[in-house]
Amino acid sequence: MTDLPIIEKAKGHFHGGVHPQEFKSISNQAEISALPSPSNLVIPLQQHIGNASQPIVNVGETVEKGQLIASCTSGLGANIHAPVSGIVKSIGPHHTGHPSGLPTAAIELETNDQQNLNSEYLPRLNHWREETSDNLRNCIKNAGIVGLGGATFPTEAKLKTANIKTLIVNAMECEPYITCDDRLLREHPEQVIEGSQIAAKIVNATEIIFAIEDNKPEAISSLEKAIRLIREAQKSTIDSSGEPKNSSAGTEPSLRIVIAPTKYPSGGEKQTIELVTGKQVPKDQLPASLGLLVQNVATLHSIYNAVVNQKPLTERLVTITGDLVNKPGNYWIPFGTKLTHLIETFEVDRKKISAAILGGPMMGQSISNFDTPVTKSTNCIIFNRTQSNEKSWVIETKPHQACIRCSECQQACPVDLLPQQLYWFSESKQWEPLEKQGLFDCIECGACAYVCPSEIPLVHYYRFGKSEIRKNKANQEKAEKAKQRFEFREMRLARAKEERAMKHKKAAEERKKAANNQQEDPSGKQAAINRALERVKQKKAGLAQSQTTQDSGEANE
Amino acid sequence: MKLSSPFFHHSLPTNKVMLLVILALIPGAAIQFYFFGYGVLINLILCSIFAVTAEYFVLYLRNRAPQEVLKDNSALLTGILLGLAIPTTLPIWMTFIGTWFAIIFAKQLYGGLGLNPFNPAMVGYVLLLISFPVEMTAWMPSRDLTANQPSLVQSLELVLFSQTSSGLTVNDFRTLADGYTMATPLDHVKTEHVLGKMSSEIFSKELFQANQNGWMWVNFGYLIGGIYLLFNKVIRWQIPVSLLASIFVTSGVLNLFDEELFSSSWFHLTSGATMLGAFFIATDPVSAATTPKGRLIYGASIGFLVVIIRTFGGYPEAIAFAVLLLNLATPTIDHYTKPTIYGHSKDQQDQDDDKQNGTAANE
Repeated sequence: MTDLPIIEKAKGHFHGGVHPQEFKSISNQAEISALPSPSNLVIPLQQHIGNASQPIVNVGETVEKGQLIASCTSGLGANIHAPVSGIVKSIGPHHTGHPSGLPTAAIELETNDQQNLNSEYLPRLNHWREETSDNLRNCIKNAGIVGLGGATFPTEAKLKTANIKTLIVNAMECEPYITCDDRLLREHPEQVIEGSQIAAKIVNATEIIFAIEDNKPEAISSLEKAIRLIREAQKSTIDSSGEPKNSSAGTEPSLRIVIAPTKYPSGGEKQTIELVTGKQVPKDQLPASLGLLVQNVATLHSIYNAVVNQKPLTERLVTITGDLVNKPGNYWIPFGTKLTHLIETFEVDRKKISAAILGGPMMGQSISNFDTPVTKSTNCIIFNRTQSNEKSWVIETKPHQACIRCSECQQACPVDLLPQQLYWFSESKQWEPLEKQGLFDCIECGACAYVCPSEIPLVHYYRFGKSEIRKNKANQEKAEKAKQRFEFREMRLARAKEERAMKHKKAAEERKKAANNQQEDPSGKQAAINRALERVKQKKAGLAQSQTTQDSGEANE
Repeated sequence: MKLSSPFFHHSLPTNKVMLLVILALIPGAAIQFYFFGYGVLINLILCSIFAVTAEYFVLYLRNRAPQEVLKDNSALLTGILLGLAIPTTLPIWMTFIGTWFAIIFAKQLYGGLGLNPFNPAMVGYVLLLISFPVEMTAWMPSRDLTANQPSLVQSLELVLFSQTSSGLTVNDFRTLADGYTMATPLDHVKTEHVLGKMSSEIFSKELFQANQNGWMWVNFGYLIGGIYLLFNKVIRWQIPVSLLASIFVTSGVLNLFDEELFSSSWFHLTSGATMLGAFFIATDPVSAATTPKGRLIYGASIGFLVVIIRTFGGYPEAIAFAVLLLNLATPTIDHYTKPTIYGHSKDQQDQDDDKQNGTAANE
């Protein structure tokens, strides 16, 4: 086991990809540090995939740092804890950076002075090696941990998958500017490794692979050092005990590093898998079908914090970068910290900036309302000059040139789609062929738009297509339901009418019958006469009989 | 500020791509100018002017901001390609008809750049070739052969009035000292073969060799430009490589079959518009196949057709016909050469396609 090389080259490769300028050295030089807490925080209730959390505190209530303030009651979701101690100021709609620009529900906190992390809010555990998978999973669920790579899928749900052989730690960090995973691995490799071991234990994985791009040599060497130490420790336990099979080291998953050439988007889950294993995840299936589970570096670090330190997820490492930032770097930022606070702290010139980018420049989101808070999905904030009077790194919106079908997009697509065809059908609103071309296989990485010589905002067209198709499907379902309801109503009305008609008919018949009877015997006199005649007949018969008996009696005498 | 991601963008813009293609035409065009005289220059200028004015005219009629659209340089490129393809002494009104037809009918009536199914320059060329076969095949012999190449003034007179002030016509300039009128090598070989001559007879003539020499250098010039485009990733390798390989193989096989009846691969590769076609005309992205596999099929089919039409067809040169025929086939080629999408299995995708076709047919 110890003889296996720690570092390997990636076996596979994925189609296409691009090499954007990295800009990572802006932020990866400084050590990780914390910021002074903001005085006012806005914590959105929906920071994850699934249902929005329900607030369990009231306005005016005092909460402590780490206290559960909103919980996930049913279905997929994640808990939310107070990032700071303070007073709940309001609960209601607030600007939270939703793509629609509409306000969503959030809890507003006003900070007070006590800032101790109350670890009692997470249940105390034994050492994780002695705990059951269920308990560990519960701890992760209680801590409100979601995928911190940007997808924000609740981690606990992801760790429920069975038949996992390999845990892949996604440390690719392929987007330009972002360096938070890089810094985390440089400074706390052992914590991330321990987090990955916890996750591996939960799903019974037998190997852990750190997948990383070759543009992060420092992170690779610190990881390698940490893994070597762990291997040596394991070896020494085996040597001293002499019985490798009985020692706990024998059941430990193996640790390896796989290095991939720097190419965007190697950090996409499917692309990472293809790089590491050389296999593709079959359509409509999860990586689990290949026995794989992929977790992001920051997610594993938060698992470590929850399980080992009983710390719920209340802050994350965020790369603050861009040419307007004073002291760019990676900072622990509590969720709910508004961009305005960061703009002040990092002395960003408001006059030179019309919007910030949350996430990377390839897949991130531009935010022009600076009241927007940092959430669980915010891995990077870029403050670059964006005012049009300055020379800008971002392209200004202008009418794009015509598509000349040069197919550069096809060369760049990591999913092997034909982006020019998708554009063609999306632009002409031909939804059915658009879907057939594989629109929903598109991961929206932006590689196609990055290389397009005509500067067509291709991804925008695809998002538009996706939302229109979804909308049409929903409408179709609605129409189908309405049709069913309408048809049922028609049927019901027809039935009612028929029943009524039947009833009337029956009643009419009865009346008719009665009338007929009346005509035949209008007052029942005939019957009475008949009956009377009958009686008379009977009487006469009776008399006759008695006479005959008398006669015969007389004769016998 | 862009509203949605990606906020990064990196590529040569479309208008610069067009300019780069024009730039890459310079070595070939310069050699053509050297061997065939001022007419080349005159054609280039005329065609550029006609192409741009035609585009402006239609865009104006269509209310499409002519100044903005013209900046994409695509009309200029079409004009230049057509200008290089037509004989140096073509009367100006023919040039005008060809260029305006190319831009208006082959491009703008379909909706403009990116929407034309056929290569506009080749549509213009074929229109002229079919309408005016005599003028369109009246190429000058190359420089080494002729003592009296027309001067700039004479060239202008020929283009404008079809004869010079001293009464010389195009054919007077094409006639060599011994009274022999030189056709282009492709034309010459074709005629001689029809007359029953053997390849060894045709190719051994010094005059022919000298003329062919000029064309070879012209092809070499376009090859240099094409390689420049390949290295700058303006075009991809699939079409030119498969096209040239296919010409080489097809003509090679015919030549092996009977070298007295069929010209060699070398002759096919260095004659006529082979290199211009392989690197600059067949690679027009708008009308060519777009999938990697499709491009190989597209290029190879053009190469095959070029040799077949040159050898057995009625016209000496075949690049234009072959390109237009394959333009027709492009949608079909693209449909059957779709790459397999990530995670899809090849069979499943094909089945889906068939289903889609089935329902479409039923509808």
